[in-house]
Amino acid sequence: MSALRLIAWNEWRLIRRSAVARAALFMLLALSAIAAFTSIAHRDESDALRARFQAQADAEFDGQPARHPHRMVHYGHFVFRPLPALAAFDPGVDAFTGSAIFLEGHRQNSANFGDVRQSSLLARFGQLTPAFVLQVLGPLVLVFIGFGTIARERESGTLRFLKAQGIAARTLLAGKALAIGGIAALLLLPALLSLGWLVLAEQAPLSGALLLAACYTAYLAFWVAAVVAASAIARDARSALMALLGLWALTTILMPRIAPDIALAATPLQTRLETDIAIHEDLRRIGDSHNPDDRHFAAFKAATLARYGVTSVEDLPVNYRGLLAMEGERITAQLFGEYAADQSSRQRRQGALATGFGLLSPAIALRSASMALAGTDLDGHQRFLDQAEVYRYAIVQGLNRLQAEAVTYADDGSRNKDPEAARRVRIDPRHWHDVPDFTYRAAPLAERVQAAAPGMALLLFWLIAGVFTLRFAARRIAEAL
Amino acid sequence: MTLPDPSQTARGTAASTSTPASAPLQPIEMRDVELTRGSRTVLSGLSLDVKAGEIYALLGGNGAGKSTTLSALLGFLTPTSGLIRVCGYDPAAEADAARRRTAYLPENVALYDLLTAHENIAYFMALAGAEPERAAIDAALDAAGLQREARDRRVSGYSKGMRQKVAIAMAVLRDVPVLLLDEPTSGLDPRATADFNALLGGLKARGTAILMVTHDLLGAADCADRIGFLAEGRIIEEVHPGEGIDVLALHHRYGERSAA
Amino acid sequence: MSLLRQELRLFLRQRIALPALLLMLVLSAASVAVGLAEIARQHDVIARIQPKQAQDEGTVAAWAGKEGDAGNAAYYTFHATWDTPSPMAFVALGQRDVAPFVLRVRALALEGQIHENETYNAELALPGRFDWAFVLTYLAPLLLIALLHDLFSSEREAGRAVLLAVMARSQRSLWLRRIALRAGLLLLALLVPFVVGAAVSGTPGSQAALVGAIAAAYLLLWTLVCLAVSRWRQSSLANAASLASAWLAITLVLPGLALLAINSAIPVQQGIELTLAQREAVHAGWDKPKAATMQAFLRDHPEWKDKAAFAGGFHWKWYYAFQHLGDRAVDSKVAAYRAGLEARDAWTRRTGWILPSVGLQVAIHRLAQTDLAAQIAYQDRIRAFHAALRRFYYPYIFSETPFREADFAKAPRWRG
Repeated sequence: MSALRLIAWNEWRLIRRSAVARAALFMLLALSAIAAFTSIAHRDESDALRARFQAQADAEFDGQPARHPHRMVHYGHFVFRPLPALAAFDPGVDAFTGSAIFLEGHRQNSANFGDVRQSSLLARFGQLTPAFVLQVLGPLVLVFIGFGTIARERESGTLRFLKAQGIAARTLLAGKALAIGGIAALLLLPALLSLGWLVLAEQAPLSGALLLAACYTAYLAFWVAAVVAASAIARDARSALMALLGLWALTTILMPRIAPDIALAATPLQTRLETDIAIHEDLRRIGDSHNPDDRHFAAFKAATLARYGVTSVEDLPVNYRGLLAMEGERITAQLFGEYAADQSSRQRRQGALATGFGLLSPAIALRSASMALAGTDLDGHQRFLDQAEVYRYAIVQGLNRLQAEAVTYADDGSRNKDPEAARRVRIDPRHWHDVPDFTYRAAPLAERVQAAAPGMALLLFWLIAGVFTLRFAARRIAEAL
Repeated sequence: MTLPDPSQTARGTAASTSTPASAPLQPIEMRDVELTRGSRTVLSGLSLDVKAGEIYALLGGNGAGKSTTLSALLGFLTPTSGLIRVCGYDPAAEADAARRRTAYLPENVALYDLLTAHENIAYFMALAGAEPERAAIDAALDAAGLQREARDRRVSGYSKGMRQKVAIAMAVLRDVPVLLLDEPTSGLDPRATADFNALLGGLKARGTAILMVTHDLLGAADCADRIGFLAEGRIIEEVHPGEGIDVLALHHRYGERSAA
Repeated sequence: MSLLRQELRLFLRQRIALPALLLMLVLSAASVAVGLAEIARQHDVIARIQPKQAQDEGTVAAWAGKEGDAGNAAYYTFHATWDTPSPMAFVALGQRDVAPFVLRVRALALEGQIHENETYNAELALPGRFDWAFVLTYLAPLLLIALLHDLFSSEREAGRAVLLAVMARSQRSLWLRRIALRAGLLLLALLVPFVVGAAVSGTPGSQAALVGAIAAAYLLLWTLVCLAVSRWRQSSLANAASLASAWLAITLVLPGLALLAINSAIPVQQGIELTLAQREAVHAGWDKPKAATMQAFLRDHPEWKDKAAFAGGFHWKWYYAFQHLGDRAVDSKVAAYRAGLEARDAWTRRTGWILPSVGLQVAIHRLAQTDLAAQIAYQDRIRAFHAALRRFYYPYIFSETPFREADFAKAPRWRG
């Protein structure tokens, strides 16, 4: 057996014999298992529930009686964001974003009913998911098991003895890293099993799962290097433990909370209320369909009449009210799009700044990459919002077009006075069936990888930093002996 | 070597002024003490007393029960039976009261490395309830023989002997009726040992009852009034070196005992 | 020099003492600054929306007032509500970053409006905010552990334990003094920035004192944990590891498990269900016979029975009647939803009796009024305000009184 393997083997034996290490490992594996099982169950349940609600909303929409098309515009539609299979591994922002949006004409509603507003303060302590266990607890277990790996040898004098046996400092550190790395692999095992299950049983994309596994491996590898290096460099075992606990608290507990505050201060967001008011304001400026003298709508009317070669709206072959509704929707949708794009670019800037703190904290880097790969990051939610808006626009304009084509201008104008007209404007409900159902298209892998790229690059940086620290530690050990 | 006048150095160590009712009491008194640790009997019927102004040396090999005796007198261990009194107090039950009357010099003196000799003494004396002046501390350190230039350095660089001198200075300053010494001269060079013995003589003259635990017979014979040989948890022989005892013969016998 | 000052000198010369105390001071000050800035921002937002809101109302008033149709006025006027942060809110920002603290409502069916979310960056909200409550709950115990884990063991390991025991007039007061000094200084470093922040934010002294007492109790509890672990007489190293594990369990793992247990024991799906149901109820109103709708409405509001009659296919009386009925149709679902939320909250409070970290967060967020209960209380006030809005508009609508520009100013105003 090579010296390297011998050192690793001996370290494992020591770990196996240490009650504390055994207890820590057992606890973490148990927590991993609990997290994996509950997280998968929770994902399945939430996804099924959303699918059920979506089916219910689709059925209710299709089942509406004969109605004026504009009634349907306000009856609107509910869409639900499905939960990607990998959300069972890292649910990301799912609890925060809300999964249901009510879509209606000329209004843009928020996504509501996120778990976090429906949970008590406990939700802010962090949810016990496989991702959380590995991101936050995994490094700590490595610290507990490994802080003494070299420091103790030095304190007991066996380090000198090893040196006398002709073992190079590099070999020693590599062997120790191998041993602690083995523990890290053991910690990864439940997560890998749950990823495997998600791929096999729940159609999670294999490549996404593999990349996730790679990211978490790199993260734990960094911690293995940090633990072994600190144990080699520190004065004694206690200093190593203190330094590593400090590093852990700083990078996984403190920095992730400080980074958002800085990002929020750098790029403030408008409240929904202000955006609402601003959109109303802009709408009035562009064109007020309530105002008969409005210039925009006067021009629209003139253009419409010219296009059909008639002189009054009554002579149009289509219902002018429907055209007006389409034009109004076009304007509001454009404004919604602009404001949403502004908000989302602000949020992107915030996110980029916060992710930049990954330079100071590997946990931030990992979290960013992990959510992006699982499809549970803000981009994923934004994608849902964008698709929901496209869908909203399509069904509203479809219904407006129905108003223009299937309802006459005369009937539309007298529907509140003439019961016969009121009956005629209620068009055949088969039209509701013709409205396509909403299907959310998840981001293709390439996009997710692109979103995860900054986080993955930062992880790579940390991994390299870890290797360099190890080499530095090896030199120190070689000199000290 | 002269000792500083205690009445001017340590203000009001309550212990030295108030003794329990029926004085004069034996400063150190042990009667038929049995003590077990776990399943092992360490002291079995140990009886011993030290009078005021007397130096008693307790000799014995490893495991004879020397440090257990000290621990019991300091109240760290409770005897299973028998009686222990320090100035009339039971050190196990009335630890604070007994310790207030006891000065103790451990074999390896550990001090606060972050403090200087002066600061260490001031701190430990403050813990004991006294606030000696700087001059008094200096006088005590003079008596203990610690060189002046070292006194305001942090003790982290001190040798074992220097640390011991700091502890001796504290014992001098305490001015309490009982002084317990654990291997006081181990690690001291012959010259320092002689100085130390002289210092003990001064304390003895002040009326302190001194119990020293040692395995250095020759050193003990130099200064002790009585020597007790401890084996298997009790005193098997007691001698008075002052009364013309043949130290070499003692040494011979002692060697046999400790080998047995 | 007094003994306490000597102890202080000894303590401050230790390698870890000053950095730990300074770190505590810096973290506490930073978190207070962040909290104050965030609360100032929330105040700013509330102040900022007032002119915008007034202008928006003015524009509606200008055209709707001309027409004089109360139905239009009620339909197009949004009424602003806001939830002013309590002076103490800077301590614990709580749910205020994920729940709206400004919300506009109309006199239409409320259940479609009240659950609206605020725009916020979910990725930034995910890790939780860096506020003083966080520093107290998570970081203060860690620093306390750093200061106390070797209280006894370091003396043992350095070989001073016996000398100390022999020299000290009273063992008890020696250790009490040392513990009080370490924990007390840490508490001081933690509390000084808080007291400054409380003064700046105008927190009532009694409340600030209560928070101070809670913080002291929390640190006392951790001190007891440190002392309990030191009873095992392990090495400093083993103490540090044991205490860090206890910290991990109490602040991260057990609350996570409690959340799992509570959320699965008390599922709350009524939120979506009630909005779906409410939409059905409101929109079915269009198709139901108008007479039936009006009858149902009058059972609730008999005061309008003489004025409920109208002619034609559409009338605002009928419109607002079925809007109201839409809300009423989901009354029981709303109650069930709320009961579910309150049950989760109640179980969290119960968990707080066992888990000090949770108990602390619950207590501080309650005092800061930034918890789920505060969120529900804000919603209750919105409901009451909405009811007042309906009471305001109904006389115009049902008596068919013209609603003029001047009438807009008579509408109920939110009192923040």
